Amino acid sequence: MKRAQDIGKAIMRNTPMEQRRAAGMARFSGCVALILAAGTVSAAPPCQKSEIRLVNSMREIAQPYHGNLDKGGRMYAKWAGLESHYVLQLNLGDSDKQVSLMRGLLAVNPKCTIFNVEPNADVVIKPMVDVANRSGAWIVTHWAHGEGLHPFDGNDQWVAHVAVDSTDAGVAISRRLVDAIGGKGGIVALQGRLDTDPARKRFAGLQQVLKEHPRVKLLDQQAANWDRTAAFPIVQTWLVKYHGEIAAIWAANDDMALGALEALRAAGLAGKIPIVGVDGIPEAVEAIGKGEMTATVSSDAYYQGSIGLAMGVCVLTGQVPLPKFWPRERREFYLRLQVITKDNAMQNRGDPQASAYAQEWDCANLWSRSKGPAS
Amino acid sequence: MRQSMEPQQGPGVLRTIRWGQWGPCLALVVMCLGFALAEPRFATLDNIGVISDRCAIPLILSVGMTFVVLQGAIDLSVEGVMAASSLAVAMLVLNSRTGLDLGLFGMALAVLAGASIGLLNGLLVTRLGVPAFMATLGVWSVAMGAAMLLSGGQPPLIRDPALRAFGLGRTFSLPNLTIVALLVLALGFVLQNYTRFGRYSVAIGGSESLARQAGLPIDRCKVQAFALCGLLAGLGGTLESVRIGLGHVDIGVGQMFTTVTAVVIGGTSLSGGRGGVVQSAVGALMLAVLANGMIFVGISPTIQKAVQGAILLAVSLIATWQLRDRLRSVK
Repeated sequence: MKRAQDIGKAIMRNTPMEQRRAAGMARFSGCVALILAAGTVSAAPPCQKSEIRLVNSMREIAQPYHGNLDKGGRMYAKWAGLESHYVLQLNLGDSDKQVSLMRGLLAVNPKCTIFNVEPNADVVIKPMVDVANRSGAWIVTHWAHGEGLHPFDGNDQWVAHVAVDSTDAGVAISRRLVDAIGGKGGIVALQGRLDTDPARKRFAGLQQVLKEHPRVKLLDQQAANWDRTAAFPIVQTWLVKYHGEIAAIWAANDDMALGALEALRAAGLAGKIPIVGVDGIPEAVEAIGKGEMTATVSSDAYYQGSIGLAMGVCVLTGQVPLPKFWPRERREFYLRLQVITKDNAMQNRGDPQASAYAQEWDCANLWSRSKGPAS
Repeated sequence: MRQSMEPQQGPGVLRTIRWGQWGPCLALVVMCLGFALAEPRFATLDNIGVISDRCAIPLILSVGMTFVVLQGAIDLSVEGVMAASSLAVAMLVLNSRTGLDLGLFGMALAVLAGASIGLLNGLLVTRLGVPAFMATLGVWSVAMGAAMLLSGGQPPLIRDPALRAFGLGRTFSLPNLTIVALLVLALGFVLQNYTRFGRYSVAIGGSESLARQAGLPIDRCKVQAFALCGLLAGLGGTLESVRIGLGHVDIGVGQMFTTVTAVVIGGTSLSGGRGGVVQSAVGALMLAVLANGMIFVGISPTIQKAVQGAILLAVSLIATWQLRDRLRSVK
């Protein structure tokens, strides 16, 4: 019955817009509670709090983005009183290692372990979900997964997939860039690693915006592999090749944008040519504040590093029903992105406090950043 | 004991003038001409500045690598050393993370850190007998790990205006880093041709057992070569950090492969005993011209890798054609 009370509380807290959905949810989970009460010996939560393990599985922690994923995870663990139950797994860019690290940890207590996964590559999600299904561990994934794979297709241990719409990110920064040059002029684009999904989709976002603005001309595009030091000489070369023709620089991530900025600085052009990037890393936010960059868009690493853990804890402590009873749009949805420009750069500087996320970690508000179902 | 070596030649500068060593130079000239004909803007003074800037770090790295390869060994730790020295310099000079502000002295310390990692490589190879491939691969990981620990997800930003101005600036219209690279090249040339270390290195690479029988201080030379390689990798990482403005674990990504390619394509044999720093410089220049030229003539980024590979294969084929009929083991 405690569950029904919680859902009741959730309704109290929700906005009118969401109340109807939540009420449906309450009825829905009321049924679930009944089924559970009838079908099992007790309706106790799946795990004791002391048994729960929180795992953040990610590439590395040298990049600000990944560092902030970890910080977000730790912030949540502390907030939830599970600080000593937090485990960090780094695969250092090795997809096989990401799976084997997971398998290794699940030798004990799999059913109370929750994995929040930043996949090293799209293809790594399938094997990790398989491991979860077999072992009874719980998994929340981020970014993008392979085609035709969904949490709601019988993958009961796959709590949710929090997708990022990279096309949307590409569109958002491209709009800011086009605005910054008054809708006309030549631009150049620095692409990420060409064989990755975000690189392709962010660039598609740029092309979409360019179609709306025929007077903005894409002079050239090069792949700088997300890398700052690779972007630097490319921009230097462009400055010679397109001397005086470049009105703005588009970059598929902030690291390359900042590499471009340094190349502009070397040529005495820093702050004179607008640059946009994606990720919202601290340096980019600082550069935006100084007027040396125009915009960036952030998926909010602190949020991504913590929301999966929050979902898992809510499930394992019985505060929300088991994921297999959730509606589809809660199992797989797009994350709302934040565009950072000069107007809000100051608010986005430095590490946030747990209090800024506390409301979103609450079991009643786990989907507050959903932009709708992802498919 | 018969060795399938090249005919023994007298020491001195004269031996550098052989047809075979002009192959890479010729290829470089052909490449430049090709790009300039396809796109006239390629052949401007401004672009020469850009190419020399792109070439600076690989050139510094390849001078160090040349001595190691000349001795028949290899140093795979370059990227790790660059990462470690990058983080070191960024945390020792005025920066966003620590309260230190050591300026040039901080840079020197970071370069020395690189040298000491190189020294470790050398000691592992000579004293403990670990093959260079494995020893330096291990040290790469260790140095990378140390850099990652220092970074901790918050790459330190370099805020020393004088150092940043040096890293991005030019003197007499030449990028400052290029000037440093040319000094390093000159130093390498002197070391190779006018010191025992240089000549012994060639001898060791030619035949280590003969060199040992001749009583050469092989271990000492090897340690020196690895230390020099580490020192220059440290210098490369430090300069790249000062240029780009932060200490970063990925500062050297791709540089190891670039460096070895530059050394080999310039004409230094991976099996040791043949080649030199000037050849490696030509190799480094070739790679920089290729990367720059492909942007100029507008080769699509999706096929750039393939085009780069094809051109490099063609160049090495042309450059080493006259060696084809000799009794030479190719490794």
